[in-house]
Amino acid sequence: MNYHWNWGIFFQQVSSSDDTYLDWIITGLGWTVAVAMSAWVIALVLGSIMGTLRTVQSKPLVMVGTVWVELFRNVPILVQLFIWFFVVPELLPRDLSLWVKQDMPGKEFFTATLALGLFTSARVAEQVRAGIQSLSRGQRYAGLALGFTEAQTYRYVILPMAFRFIIPPLTSEFMNAFKNSAVAFAIGVMDLTFISRQMVEESGQVIESLLAATVLYVICAMAANRVMSFIEKRSHVPGFILAK
Amino acid sequence: MFSNFDFGVIPLSLPFIWQGLLYSLKLTATAMTGGIILGTLLALARLSGGVVLGTISTFYVNTLRSIPLLMVILWFFFLIPIFTGSPMGAEKSAMITFTLFEAAFYAEIMRAGIQSVSRGQINAGYAIGMTYWQTMGHVILPQAFRNMLPVLLTQTIILFQDTSLVYAIGAKDLLKAAEITGKNYNRPVEMYIFSAVVYFAICFSLSMLVKHLNKRIAIIR
Amino acid sequence: MIEINKVSKWYGSFQVLTDCTTQIAKGEVVVVCGPSGSGKSTLIKCVNGLEPIQQGNIAVNGTAINDPKTDLPKLRARVGMVFQHFELFPHMSIIKNLSIGQVKVLGRSEDEAHAKGMKLLERVGLKAHANKYPGEMSGGQQQRVAIARALSMDPICMLFDEPTSALDPEMINEVLDVMVELAHEGMTMMVVTHEMGFARKVANRVVFMDQGKIVEDAAKEEFFGQPRSERAQQFLSKILHH
Repeated sequence: MNYHWNWGIFFQQVSSSDDTYLDWIITGLGWTVAVAMSAWVIALVLGSIMGTLRTVQSKPLVMVGTVWVELFRNVPILVQLFIWFFVVPELLPRDLSLWVKQDMPGKEFFTATLALGLFTSARVAEQVRAGIQSLSRGQRYAGLALGFTEAQTYRYVILPMAFRFIIPPLTSEFMNAFKNSAVAFAIGVMDLTFISRQMVEESGQVIESLLAATVLYVICAMAANRVMSFIEKRSHVPGFILAK
Repeated sequence: MFSNFDFGVIPLSLPFIWQGLLYSLKLTATAMTGGIILGTLLALARLSGGVVLGTISTFYVNTLRSIPLLMVILWFFFLIPIFTGSPMGAEKSAMITFTLFEAAFYAEIMRAGIQSVSRGQINAGYAIGMTYWQTMGHVILPQAFRNMLPVLLTQTIILFQDTSLVYAIGAKDLLKAAEITGKNYNRPVEMYIFSAVVYFAICFSLSMLVKHLNKRIAIIR
Repeated sequence: MIEINKVSKWYGSFQVLTDCTTQIAKGEVVVVCGPSGSGKSTLIKCVNGLEPIQQGNIAVNGTAINDPKTDLPKLRARVGMVFQHFELFPHMSIIKNLSIGQVKVLGRSEDEAHAKGMKLLERVGLKAHANKYPGEMSGGQQQRVAIARALSMDPICMLFDEPTSALDPEMINEVLDVMVELAHEGMTMMVVTHEMGFARKVANRVVFMDQGKIVEDAAKEEFFGQPRSERAQQFLSKILHH
């Protein structure tokens, strides 16, 4: 193996630009965090709604939730991304379609966020559903017997506990959002993956380039993990032991 | 809405798409087989109680699980030539990458599976005079495997979806084949839709199979 | 107060209730007993519409439960229910458990609900525990809180679904004492239980169920003196002899 190490590469200027490679990496980190976090918000909101729908009494609503989950869960994220980026604009009305294709600012970012958000929402929905179904029927009865409507029973009784149950799996999904955000490079979002590939091309320093991105991904995932375990501690119910 | 579309491109492109799909399936099968074997070994190493083996296995599993697969694909693609001195080709490189990567995920599943078999089963194996490996091979692993079959299959569905990420290094899988034919016939939109439908059909059927298995296993227990 | 008229219920093709008929007058205490699987818990859940019925009708205070036009939440708010497994809300403090229904369903102010909750806690002897969480209390204490929670809604009648069968023996009496007191105050009560001592003490009538049917519906003295059906005789001799 004859590899020429150069750890100083990060402080060198990129040819044909004023930026150093370090600036590049920081930009990449910014886009990765932006895509992953915004997608996570979408996933959490839509996933909670769809997961809840799958547990309600109304059959049509259950169907909506089921179709949603199966659709977004059974197509690879990269393919979904291409569908949103290349196909959906073609289905829009003419003027809107032209605007999306030519003028829409931040098109890559919004598309990647939407695609990742919807993809992740299907997985969140499955966890939410599992959380709700792990609660005893008695809790639902107790809420209803107190005079709560079905919606109130969900709001005050079922969901608060269901979400506490599913913090561990949601933690993995939050971390997955960061990992899966790497596909955004494929439509030109300048995230960590995009930047590290670019840096490999420009500088030829394969190991340094990939290592920087990899380490930052790991740090992001760990930060996500810490945030969730903080929430888990804060939402701990005194005297309540999770039955395994 | 689809009036501008020409799905007539699909039959024309089928032979090429078929080649891509075959590669995706081959990659899935290879990574699944290799991943489960290697993953089981990793799980055994982790549960063996040995300090060195346990630490190595834990480190391997945790590291790979916290890195995006795309980065791992890039690592192997760029690093192998540095080590071997010659480029390997995206298709082959992906085979190695996916096997090693998926092993980390299968390892965690197999570990849970082994732990789901009661401690008494190990003692029962020893009691009739079996060695550690005999007990594992004849008593524990078959049960662990059976208990975890739905989860292993679910992971394989994820693996199959993830094979589309070889796009990053240009390997010709289903997605890439769809993209290439889309460009050649100037019908990219139709081909993206078609590839999504194929992925969906395969993954959805497999997930129905998982549901069915889960029901059957619930009955066996 | 509660009228159950020819009620039948199926789970799929399995019939759990067959043609059940009984009434509970205002101020009456009726104990429902019978072997496990006899449908008594299902029947009591039908009374406030937690379980739907397929045939017959049930009316509480003149309002039909199985009429689609009935505002079920509004009706349930006036029917207190106590469950076998307490079903306190584990993520809320005890006082919050007592006030949430008052605030969100009856529209009372937080202060009013809090005051009422504290008064009821005092009544069941648990005032000092107001800020604890359900998981920090014994089963007997939790069940007393659950009774207080039901009372916080000013119910016109109370349903008890095996309120003591999930409790350790030494905690059963503290719960029964609260129930006896309630009965003496004239609360209309439908109680599914195996506690025959309780039935002897306060029940007006005893309903005996077997295999989804009401087999016997008699005044207490009659039931304990000489039950008509053989099944009820067998059941009584089994649970009274130890």
